[in-house]
Amino acid sequence: MDFNLSEEQEALQDMARDFLSERWPRERVREQLDARPALVDDDVWQEIVEMGWLGVAASEEAGGIGGDIMTAAVLCREAGRGVLPGPFQSSLVAAIALERSGDKELVSGLLSELIEGKTRVSVAIDESAGLYGGASVAAHASESSSGWLLSGSKFLVPDANEADVLLVAAQTPDGPGLVRVSTEAEGVTINRMDRMDGQSCAEVVFENAPVEGSALVGGKDRGASLLHDVYDIATVLLAADLLGSAEASLELTRLYAIEREQFGKPIGSFQAVSHRLANTLVDVEIGISLLYGACLALDEGRDNAGPLVSGAKAWLSDAAVDAAETALQIHGGVGFTWEYDVHLHMRRSRCNAALQGDADHHRDRVAAYMSEDWVPQIKS
Amino acid sequence: MDLEFSAEDEEYRQRLRAWLKENVGGGGDSPNAVMKQAEEDPEAAKDPLAGARAWPRRLHDAGYVGLAWPKEYGGQDASFTQQVICGEEMAKVRTPPLINTIGLSIIGPTLVQHGTEEQKKRFLPRILRADDLWCQGFSEPEAGSDLASLRCRAELDGDEFVVNGQKVWTSLAFLSDWMFLLVRTDPDAPKREGISYLLLDMKSPGIEVRPLRNAAGGQHFSEVFFDNVRIPKKNLVGELNKGWSIARSSLDHERSGLSGVVALEETLGRLFRMAGKVDRGQQKSVEDQSARRALAQHWIAIEGLRHLGYRTLSDQIAGKPPGAGSSVGKLFASELRQEMTRTAMDLQGPFAPIAKRSPHVVDRGRWHAAYFDALAHSIGGGTSEIMRNVIAEKVLGLPRAQED
Repeated sequence: MDFNLSEEQEALQDMARDFLSERWPRERVREQLDARPALVDDDVWQEIVEMGWLGVAASEEAGGIGGDIMTAAVLCREAGRGVLPGPFQSSLVAAIALERSGDKELVSGLLSELIEGKTRVSVAIDESAGLYGGASVAAHASESSSGWLLSGSKFLVPDANEADVLLVAAQTPDGPGLVRVSTEAEGVTINRMDRMDGQSCAEVVFENAPVEGSALVGGKDRGASLLHDVYDIATVLLAADLLGSAEASLELTRLYAIEREQFGKPIGSFQAVSHRLANTLVDVEIGISLLYGACLALDEGRDNAGPLVSGAKAWLSDAAVDAAETALQIHGGVGFTWEYDVHLHMRRSRCNAALQGDADHHRDRVAAYMSEDWVPQIKS
Repeated sequence: MDLEFSAEDEEYRQRLRAWLKENVGGGGDSPNAVMKQAEEDPEAAKDPLAGARAWPRRLHDAGYVGLAWPKEYGGQDASFTQQVICGEEMAKVRTPPLINTIGLSIIGPTLVQHGTEEQKKRFLPRILRADDLWCQGFSEPEAGSDLASLRCRAELDGDEFVVNGQKVWTSLAFLSDWMFLLVRTDPDAPKREGISYLLLDMKSPGIEVRPLRNAAGGQHFSEVFFDNVRIPKKNLVGELNKGWSIARSSLDHERSGLSGVVALEETLGRLFRMAGKVDRGQQKSVEDQSARRALAQHWIAIEGLRHLGYRTLSDQIAGKPPGAGSSVGKLFASELRQEMTRTAMDLQGPFAPIAKRSPHVVDRGRWHAAYFDALAHSIGGGTSEIMRNVIAEKVLGLPRAQED
């Protein structure tokens, strides 16, 4: 029984936190907000690549460091805390998808290139509004004389505009799964959109776009389960990012409540303020616990991994937004200024709360699990 | 990172399960068992609480109470994981309530930590066997959340303290053999520095117990009045005027809360099933989307609490100082229980008002009791507001809310 981060994970966490606070100052985030899309500076990105962050959950054969989902989540939490924009998280999700494909060629080829920063890859799963995950995919690849051709459209694809290759969820002659499509290929249209926090995403339309290799990533047998797993992993990493946002909002506000005086006292001594922050702390602690639980369940392949992932995403979507709103209110006037960081966390958490299933979507998923699997095995 | 218990712990769990299977539901407190006990021990049969004492005694004989206590005082010196396993397994089979809970969970651990050798030897074994039942004399009419402003006085007269004053909300006072209480022994000192911690024999002359009927209709707690009640000096716990920190430590006993999670989970399962039976409009209550989302949110919260408990337990095992876990857990668990019972009342729809023994009553009216019971959880043992003060000050490092 040891339900805490390992020493290595804690060291990685400290290192990432220090790196981002030093190399990715909030002034740059603000500038990026004005100069959309917000992308990390090339030199900082190069350092991130060199530190091996993209290979954190990839095997050593691919140039990775062989960590698990929990370790990947450590980095995403710091990315959220440090307001690091794309393409870090989208690249990390793509790397995990390629690693888990078990396809030696992809691992030694595309994955190595991704980890070395030579090729950018993003994963495109969600489609129209309100339908999330692999189960509701309508895009389809059909057989043709020149191989598989993909048609359909993907919505809110992270960093698609900057990607070289997309891993696209589709129905195929071999069943549902992910297929590879070059963003340069004929029949691929990328309509860039900026998020409220400045990050880049896109609507991507495929019209008979050629599928590389004319096969599912992971092959016919593993294609569907890979798609399912990748979506859960992407979702839990987004939850980790939300946790980082929530913690950042809380810490900013905690320090402000200690320092700022009104009526001759620090405002943190007033219960209207301190109790609201105590509530945020409770939300954050429960959020950390849910995140760890979901990551461990994924890493150990437990049956209840899916609902735990949904639980973490639902909880942290609400918690991060609440933390940001609390931060703004308690900062008062200065919290509403461009120069304070409060709005940076609010923007990011608001975006991430809505992506890959909002809190209600994930509660619905938990409710379905409860009636089908959980209630029958609970003794009452 | 792992959530595995060791092979040794799993073996312990299996032994305990087997024992519980044999011993729960067999009815240690059933009339037959009481009759049998009466034949064996006629003296005990005169005790109206003999039935209620039988279960903790059986647990003690089998080594399943006082797990954290030293062996020399009848405890088990068990590991943190075994304590958790024991709590979880007992919650799973819903063992009968323990009549000596206050002794086991509050005064026992306090004496283990702060008691004199004589106090430990005298009281601890009797707590374990439910020979002595204990109540807690902390709250007063003018000292609730601001406990340190308590007024109940004790003056030294030779080798005895003489106590005058009043306590209130004293759970099980009318059944108890002993009370541990906080009294003011130095009225001139700053309020936290003039308080002492005493042990009082409830048979002492000058004590009057007046039961209070609670909002749920039961008579669980009492007012207790002291008129020149004499307590031998040897029943002082710790040093004179140093009782406050002892009381604080007894409120702070580290607990992962994992057995509470089992109970919440069981309640949620019951709630989900109830919502599947009750008609609400054109559908069953559970078919409504907002109801399903509320139930899902409870499940998520329970999993959050469970995994928070695992973090607390891991810290205990690693010998780390208590983190945010226990105060967060207490606050969160009591509010979650209230949210769940509120959902239970809501999801009964038009059947919610129907009282027990009436036609159409849902689940024999148990949700009404659960609802009231949950309301008490955010008051007793430190109100939610006080828990938030503790979190704000101790965890977040915010300046103190109130002046002393």
